[in-house]
Amino acid sequence: MQERYAYYPGCLASLSQKELDSSTRAIAKKLEIELIEMPSVTCCGAGDIHEAKPDYYLHISARILGQAEQSGCDTILTICNVCTLNLRQANMALKEDAAVLNRVNDNLREVGAATYQGGVDVRHLLWEVSAGEGYERFKSIAVKSLEGLKVAPFYGCQILRPAKILGFENSDRPESLERLIRACGAEPIDYPAKVKCCGFPIVLAREDVALGELVQPLEQAMDAGADVMVTPCPLCPLSLDAWQRKAAAFSGREFGIPILHLAQLLGAAAGIEESELKFKRHVTRLSPSVQAKLQVPSVVGTKV
Amino acid sequence: MATIENAHFTTLKGAYDTETMEATVKVRRFNPETGKSRFDTFIVTIPVTATVLDALDAIKDTCDGTLSYRKSCRMSVCGSCGMRVDGGAALACKVPMRKFVEAGHTITVSPMGNLPVIKDLVVDMTPFWDKIRAIKPYLDTKNADTPAKEWRINPADTALIHKESLCILCGCCVSECISMESDPDFLGPAALAKAYRFVGDARDKDTRERLRDLSGAHGIWDCTRCYFCNQRCPKGVDPRDAIAKLGAESFKEGFTSDAGAKHAKVFVDSTFKGGYLRETELVPKTIGPANAIKDIPFALQLARAGKVPNPLSPHKAKDNDEVKRLWKLLEKEAKGQPRRATAVHPDAVQEG
Repeated sequence: MQERYAYYPGCLASLSQKELDSSTRAIAKKLEIELIEMPSVTCCGAGDIHEAKPDYYLHISARILGQAEQSGCDTILTICNVCTLNLRQANMALKEDAAVLNRVNDNLREVGAATYQGGVDVRHLLWEVSAGEGYERFKSIAVKSLEGLKVAPFYGCQILRPAKILGFENSDRPESLERLIRACGAEPIDYPAKVKCCGFPIVLAREDVALGELVQPLEQAMDAGADVMVTPCPLCPLSLDAWQRKAAAFSGREFGIPILHLAQLLGAAAGIEESELKFKRHVTRLSPSVQAKLQVPSVVGTKV
Repeated sequence: MATIENAHFTTLKGAYDTETMEATVKVRRFNPETGKSRFDTFIVTIPVTATVLDALDAIKDTCDGTLSYRKSCRMSVCGSCGMRVDGGAALACKVPMRKFVEAGHTITVSPMGNLPVIKDLVVDMTPFWDKIRAIKPYLDTKNADTPAKEWRINPADTALIHKESLCILCGCCVSECISMESDPDFLGPAALAKAYRFVGDARDKDTRERLRDLSGAHGIWDCTRCYFCNQRCPKGVDPRDAIAKLGAESFKEGFTSDAGAKHAKVFVDSTFKGGYLRETELVPKTIGPANAIKDIPFALQLARAGKVPNPLSPHKAKDNDEVKRLWKLLEKEAKGQPRRATAVHPDAVQEG
């Protein structure tokens, strides 16, 4: 774990998933890590720009990495699976071929943007707090035990696969989320679809295909007796939370399971206030019993 | 449960004089006559160098001759022995048993997913081959003359399709494809990687027609980017990357009317317009304004939770003019380049 990170919240945490950004900032403060802002960065492309305009994707990624370098940080902290994969993938392409990096830098220079020298690593919050010093530091701030809360970890895809770009843990049998759930005093629930897909990338373009994908983790987590699901990616909750009622209509089964951001779960265990965790910003609201287990005072009825 | 003498590998033993180990293997069985499936557990003595396929051979030779699975080359070339080992598709002949035995772990072997099971570990590959056939897996030079000499292609152009050319059609990627679980008509990673192998081939002249077909229903925009295919492929083909390349090629050809392509375009446009994604533009621009109106009750649900950002004040990154200039620069550069590699017909090449 570093003392300071170039913070890359990405689009969703800055827009519809603002609660993820505020929870992350609050937990970073508790962990005593400094988050350096990068006000000029763009979207990572979410895989869409990589697919539509790969050369443009490589350049905007280099610009983001270059800005982190300019800020004097050697690590970008991400809180989104998709940002993590896209930035790491570009970083790898830029670092492994000097000719590619030189060409990209020539172009960045020509438009007056910061160039990139290849000195930055991209790490997800999950990786930083689930192992080593970061994990010890989190355990020391996890003062509230979320005892009795059954949490279904949902990893999502792009923090696990492809392992040659991500490679933090065994992509078929990951355990970082389980370790953190236990550190919060809660109980991790096991189910096979925890490493499968939320369907988000195609939820607009191919809604039926995506619904067929996202009902799997919802059904399995419910069957395994989970109170809530937790995910390290802000796209998964859009799909699993925002599309949950559509998934219910699609599968003919009621769900009603709240989907938490990792930073919200960690924040609850660290005793951070609702004003920063913002549990009220979920489409599927927390039931009173879940609120009690999370020890969040009166979420329902508070003003959004 | 059955224990066996290790007579089956006498030839191997003679050749390598190898040490042996005792392995436990759980196998999913399916009997097509009764329609019933079950798990059988076998204990076999195998050489320490044995693969999962060697263990299955030992079981078949000495425990249960009715165990059915496909195999041929035993060296990760023919692509016959694709199956799931502990739930993940792999070539049985490429997975060593030793690490499992040393860890005291009993592996579970089951048939590949997304394909009907015929018996035990044998799946019906017909849907797989149908999709390979559907993408026209052969060169179309649109030239009636058979060249007298071989084609000449720049090595850099050959490298463009090197990874996709490595495919051995084993089906491991298809086994794990999440979009195929949900849409069985999706062309899937193997057929799409094969399609790119021809789209990217400098000799092929059917590129536009190929891309038109591939960018429609059940094509490239069905992929949910779960990356299971890249993870499972035993040959490093990286089918998901091939699908992304097909997306880029179809953009070059102007095939951008599919909802998936429109979705991608919103991301591209958002970056140089303001920096971050314009979330509120994503829905109407992907599914069209009429469908977006139908979704208003859904949007209101989201709005109540504060999930709809104000469309009138989109995010603006600092210094975003740099990105605008970058976009223009790259578009100009791309215009000055040939759209793709082309090969010269061999008969037109003058020997120097």
